[in-house]
Amino acid sequence: MSVLYFLPQGWLPLLESLFYALIFPGFVIILLLAFFIIWFERKAAARVQMRYGPLWVSKRTGGIIQLLADMIRFSFQEFIIPEGADFLPFVFLPGFLLAFAVLPTVFIPIGPDYTRIFPSAYTLLLAAAFTLVIPVYLVVTGWAADNKFSFIGALREAYLLISYEVPYILVIASMVLLYRTLDLVRVVDMQESSLPGILLNPVAAIVYLLVVIRSTGRVPYDIVEADSELIFGPYTEYSSLMFGFVMGVPYIELYSYSLLFSVLFLGGWAPMGGSGFVGGLILPGLLTFVKAVIVMCFLVFLRAVYPRYKLNKAMEAGWSWVLYLALVSLLVSAAVSRLI
Amino acid sequence: MSLPKEVPFTYEALSQIELKNGVIELQVGPAHAGSGHMRIVVWVEGDTVVKVDPDIGYVHRGVEKLSEDRIYIKAIPIVERPALVDTVNANLAYVIALEKLLGLEAPPRAQYIRVITAEISRIISHLYGIAIFGIFMGSSTVFMWALADREPFIDIMEELTGARITYSHIIPGGVRWDLPKDFADRLEIALQYLERRMKDYESIWIKNPVVEARTKGVGTLSATRAVELGVVGPNLRASGVGYDVRKDSPYAAYPDFDFEVPTLSEGDSYARLLIRVEEIKQSISIIRQALKKIPQGRVIYEDYYKRMSPLMKKIYDETGRVKFTSLVTSLSPPKGEAISRVEGGRGEVFYYLVSDGGKTPYRFRAVTPSFRNLPYFTHVMPGHKLADVPVIYGSIDYFPPEADR
Repeated sequence: MSVLYFLPQGWLPLLESLFYALIFPGFVIILLLAFFIIWFERKAAARVQMRYGPLWVSKRTGGIIQLLADMIRFSFQEFIIPEGADFLPFVFLPGFLLAFAVLPTVFIPIGPDYTRIFPSAYTLLLAAAFTLVIPVYLVVTGWAADNKFSFIGALREAYLLISYEVPYILVIASMVLLYRTLDLVRVVDMQESSLPGILLNPVAAIVYLLVVIRSTGRVPYDIVEADSELIFGPYTEYSSLMFGFVMGVPYIELYSYSLLFSVLFLGGWAPMGGSGFVGGLILPGLLTFVKAVIVMCFLVFLRAVYPRYKLNKAMEAGWSWVLYLALVSLLVSAAVSRLI
Repeated sequence: MSLPKEVPFTYEALSQIELKNGVIELQVGPAHAGSGHMRIVVWVEGDTVVKVDPDIGYVHRGVEKLSEDRIYIKAIPIVERPALVDTVNANLAYVIALEKLLGLEAPPRAQYIRVITAEISRIISHLYGIAIFGIFMGSSTVFMWALADREPFIDIMEELTGARITYSHIIPGGVRWDLPKDFADRLEIALQYLERRMKDYESIWIKNPVVEARTKGVGTLSATRAVELGVVGPNLRASGVGYDVRKDSPYAAYPDFDFEVPTLSEGDSYARLLIRVEEIKQSISIIRQALKKIPQGRVIYEDYYKRMSPLMKKIYDETGRVKFTSLVTSLSPPKGEAISRVEGGRGEVFYYLVSDGGKTPYRFRAVTPSFRNLPYFTHVMPGHKLADVPVIYGSIDYFPPEADR
């Protein structure tokens, strides 16, 4: 910290925000987390399925750098662009997907001092809005690849997006109704003074998790990528490093959603609080982060339990009981908000 | 949901189906996660399948023709290759036809050993079918479990025959090896393990709400239509027709056992899954009865034993291993023809063998169960959603190498 005092006054917030964007909880930690969560998913499923999972790449660490080895392999493979593909969207959209998957994390505060870096009273709205951008790009990707399976995958994504967007917005609205604020720092304060959101409105938490499973394509909602039906859905034509990118997108998306869940329902950094760089950002940030990772671990573990759901049944559910549950969560919020 | 009744089971009739504008033709396979060793051409209108054309033959091995070039006993390894996870029943069907030509019958102990191995093979085949069904529906857990739970039985067969998959254990006149000493105990341990595991399957797979939602009412085939289309095996029994070769024209030692032929009337994919689970339970019961009642005696036809050299006899008496006499290796059945029917894991195996009195078969014809279950693609899949294609495919336990022979 002492080095920072030699810098001019205005540099400190800039350095802080750079640290925030690049290291924690931004780029570097997201990469490391992607390594961990993919490793965990494979290892946990392997444990259930009576096998080892990733092991032989660095046996001493239990194969945790398997993804790194895969990425190196991907980077030496040929990147094939199909003849009929729309060149620009096909090549650049994976980058956009990756960017938009990370973007919501900018608006989600990880500690009480976060307002210093991103001063806004509408962080919940912004985070929720940016989580909904990805499917649009996904649909374009599916169209650009000029592959029937990609196309069908993109259509499935569009159908499911519409079916589950309404419950998602309703759940966000019900949480706004509950906390009477759009500022996520205030949201955590409210939870600290009463109870975590998951206890205040469990219905909303359930619907939120369902929407997360849907949006990130976790089992049983891996309908868009369904390998035995559509090979790899909208990503079918991607090869080489691009395949690595698009494979990582759902996990980063999952991270954004889980971070929001951690702040919105699990009390974020509560009961930890303080001020300054370490006390106000890093330590509370770690707590928020750990809560989010636990949620992620739970969601990826579902793969070991469920088979894949069907498109029309998932849509039916989205327009019936998921929607009803979302409406119920509004009522619950209305009732509970009078009590806290 | 299936095609209207007017569409008969001919290729010409299917090609008459009119395809409107906006119908997309999907080539599922031959390199596709949901195709197996075949290509399925699927025409979809929106999300609804309007026509399916299974393009088979990618793994044709020419079993029938190859058999004609070899002496009778050497056709056994070829015959069991196509039905890779259900090799004993293929082997048994061939040997029964050959024994009919030769006019001999294996001693009772050999018949019992045949039943035991055939039922083990059925269990392995059904577990494999459940595994493939699982992965087609996106459940890697059931895939891994069911494939791994074949292992105790494969180990036991390895101890008995020395091979893990293709045993070639059944020969004309008997079997090649007598049971090892602790065979019954080891098999009982494996059976108890499987019984415990079936409860796990029940909780994670069979009673899983997602499985029920995806398979109930999907791929329904009524009893009359099933008979009309000529489907066989567990699929037929799931449609409510209690036809089982083991009961209806018994072979080997099956008349000695008390077992049920499970049937269900629903005829959908879920019923086909349940039938397989029930049949595993029946197989366990048959194996237990056989181990209890198995008679003493030789495992090779008496005449063949008599013609063994003293050294061969000594080896047989000490180790239970049957050495091939020159008589067995140079069989030449009298002129004639024979058929055999065996209830394999996937359904009725039908073999037809013609001898012209020479040392090799004059003609060998194999009708395998998977081939007879093909109408599920052409006549049951249309009308369903695209996501139901792998579900129906997995539920009928279709195995391309077996169908292609």
